[in-house]
Amino acid sequence: MASLSEEVLLVVKKVRQRKQDGTMYLMAERIAWCPEGKDRFTVSHPYADIRCQKISPDGKAKIQLQLVLHTGESTTFHFSNDSTALKDREAAKELLQQLLPRFKKKANKELEEKNRMLQEDPVLFQMYKDLVVSKVISAEEFWTNRLGGVNNTDSVVQNNKQEVGISGAFLADIRPQTDGCNGLKYNLTADIIESIFRTYPAVKQKYSENVPHNLTEKEFWTCFFQSHYFHRDRINTGTQDIFSECAKQDEKGLKSMVIQGVKNPLVDLLSLEDKTLDEGYGNGLTRASTSSTNKTIKDNSNAAIIKRFNHHSAMVLAAGSRRGETAAEQASETSSTDGNSRDSDLFQPPVKKAKLQEAIEYEDLQRENGQKTVALNLKKSYRYAHGPVPLQSQQYTSSQDIINSISCIQHEMTNYKPNLTQVLSSAAATSAIAALSPGGVLMQGGSQQAINQMVPTDIQGELKHLYVAAGELLRHFWSCFPVNSPFLEEKLTGHLEEMLQTAYSKLHTWQTRQMTMRKT
Amino acid sequence: MDIIHFSTEDEINLLVIVVDVNPLWWGQQAQREAEFTLSKCLDAVMVMGNSHMAMTRTNKLAVIASHCQDSHFLYPMKNWGSSDGATDDASCSGDGKYELLSVTNNVIAEEMRNIMLKTEIKGNSTATLLAGSLAKALCYIHRVSKELAVGQEMKSRILVVKASEDCALQYMNFMNVIFAAQKQNILIDACVLDSDSGLLQQACDITGGLYLKIPQKVALAQYLLWVFLPDTEQRSQLVLPPPAHVDYRAACFCHQNLIEIGYVCSVCLSIFCKFSPICSTCQ
Repeated sequence: MASLSEEVLLVVKKVRQRKQDGTMYLMAERIAWCPEGKDRFTVSHPYADIRCQKISPDGKAKIQLQLVLHTGESTTFHFSNDSTALKDREAAKELLQQLLPRFKKKANKELEEKNRMLQEDPVLFQMYKDLVVSKVISAEEFWTNRLGGVNNTDSVVQNNKQEVGISGAFLADIRPQTDGCNGLKYNLTADIIESIFRTYPAVKQKYSENVPHNLTEKEFWTCFFQSHYFHRDRINTGTQDIFSECAKQDEKGLKSMVIQGVKNPLVDLLSLEDKTLDEGYGNGLTRASTSSTNKTIKDNSNAAIIKRFNHHSAMVLAAGSRRGETAAEQASETSSTDGNSRDSDLFQPPVKKAKLQEAIEYEDLQRENGQKTVALNLKKSYRYAHGPVPLQSQQYTSSQDIINSISCIQHEMTNYKPNLTQVLSSAAATSAIAALSPGGVLMQGGSQQAINQMVPTDIQGELKHLYVAAGELLRHFWSCFPVNSPFLEEKLTGHLEEMLQTAYSKLHTWQTRQMTMRKT
Repeated sequence: MDIIHFSTEDEINLLVIVVDVNPLWWGQQAQREAEFTLSKCLDAVMVMGNSHMAMTRTNKLAVIASHCQDSHFLYPMKNWGSSDGATDDASCSGDGKYELLSVTNNVIAEEMRNIMLKTEIKGNSTATLLAGSLAKALCYIHRVSKELAVGQEMKSRILVVKASEDCALQYMNFMNVIFAAQKQNILIDACVLDSDSGLLQQACDITGGLYLKIPQKVALAQYLLWVFLPDTEQRSQLVLPPPAHVDYRAACFCHQNLIEIGYVCSVCLSIFCKFSPICSTCQ
């Protein structure tokens, strides 16, 4: 007996298969048929195996439904209930119509995935050929490790490639061309058709209902473009258009979207309006109601166009964010059609806080995180303060010594008067000069020769004469100060200056002569 | 041999003389050697200062006395501009001397007397505050360089006349002062009277100045005039005492001995003479 855990979606009695009466059961994942009186399914096909279903044309006497499997086999069911055969068959067909695409995707996707992987990776392809085709390992074994989560087709697809979004102008891209004689030619590509189906699921449903039973594809599209549904001015004149239903559904959808409001607080413009407490508190104007009947006809038609545009944009956005949802969900326009209800989930307090935080903070404007450093732990840092001076034995100065020294120096300083003429005795000066001259005590690093051995005697003589003469002139110069008589002033500015100039030039020529002589 | 270039009119040469006036050392010195006392030292320093100012009109001078309590500017005085009346008396000297020089000498003498009268030794602080004086000198040089007119340049150097011994506690401050002077291109010269000072040797070596320990204290004036009066440009033309060998050995942190080969902790960079797995400074 069929497992009771499966959910039975539809039961159709009086269905014949291979000339046997029985009951057809449509379950969540398979279709099954058991003969009358028996309690075991003789025919059971998972939806994934079914490639497509076929129905017998309306005019025929027998009302039949055929299932074609991927393997090529086909199973035919004959609906033999006299009164409700057609209805049964329609019900079954519709249900199948909804269920099959769901499973078809899975099967297809699996095969597609495998094909893609083999095509992309030549090494893998070679391995497949070597191992599976030559029956070393079975195909299942080969693919178990590779495919990893085949049932999660959504995630696999999403990991590998991005879905292409819908261009908002896809309808405008269908540029009608005049046909010459008052007709219009519309160019429809597969992409445009896909865009229309994704954006307007209602149209897709109509398509799948009517094609290929009632209308051919061409007729369908002609009807579509002719209908007022497509045109700008959507006046619901109640024509028996297959698309008038769509128009009504659109209106419903738009209204529900408006009622839902905007959940994302970062985008909600209505929340920015002034709120009034009462008349007189802040904004005293009453908000004009949007559904006032005072609007003119022109306003109405403008409103209609604007509504259509808004609706169209909302549908495009919804289609773009609607990914991998099942066909059943797609049929209802109003369930999760925009990011709105998703937003309402997303904007719970903690997530909302995180989103707000994200919006106001820029990572590269934050303070740079310094590198983590380990703090230096010094126990005896006073050691650094002591220089490379070996510990000397402190000279012990008794306090008595200190007092003596201080009193001595103070005594000396109270009577201090600078005596600059007695600073240096000539003996001390000459010994100091000797020490500082080359060969002296302090000049041990330099040349060891005494200076009077380095300079030739005649130059020494000339230098001595020049020095003595200059000294004499300087003595005259300094004796003129302080200038307190015109004679001294005249002497200073007059010929003394002359003499100093001549002396200087003489020295200079002597110097240059010595230098040129050295060079040669 | 180059022709001597005379410095341009606009270049200012600032000489700051830091004199070690440690009263203990000078008091004991007066008892040891009566011919060379603090008065004589100050006379020699004054001669040096006068000569420096007499060389060129644009030369400037400053004198700091380095005491154990504090460092004190002997010249120029703080209230220089305000009390002009007081300086008028000081400026007229009897011997027709250049006014600036006589004023300088009088001011220095006056300040010196004041400092010595206010001396009190507290506790055990008998070391000269040399690092502090050098820092004050650097600050003064910096201030003067900021007060220059546009287009004027200034070259400065510091001459230290040192009498007492080094103080190891001032090592850190001393090194900071030396590196600051080096950065500012300020020479530090040292004229040492008594005992060699490792710190001053390093200072002179790093900043490019001259270090001299004089054999005869009574001839201090001659040494000062011969060696330390010429400035940097002129020194290159003269034959001067060669630089002394500086002992750059470090002292180990545990015994304060000077070592040639040691062990350094890679974390805290403390130096030890013997190897130990755990550094006693930083663990």
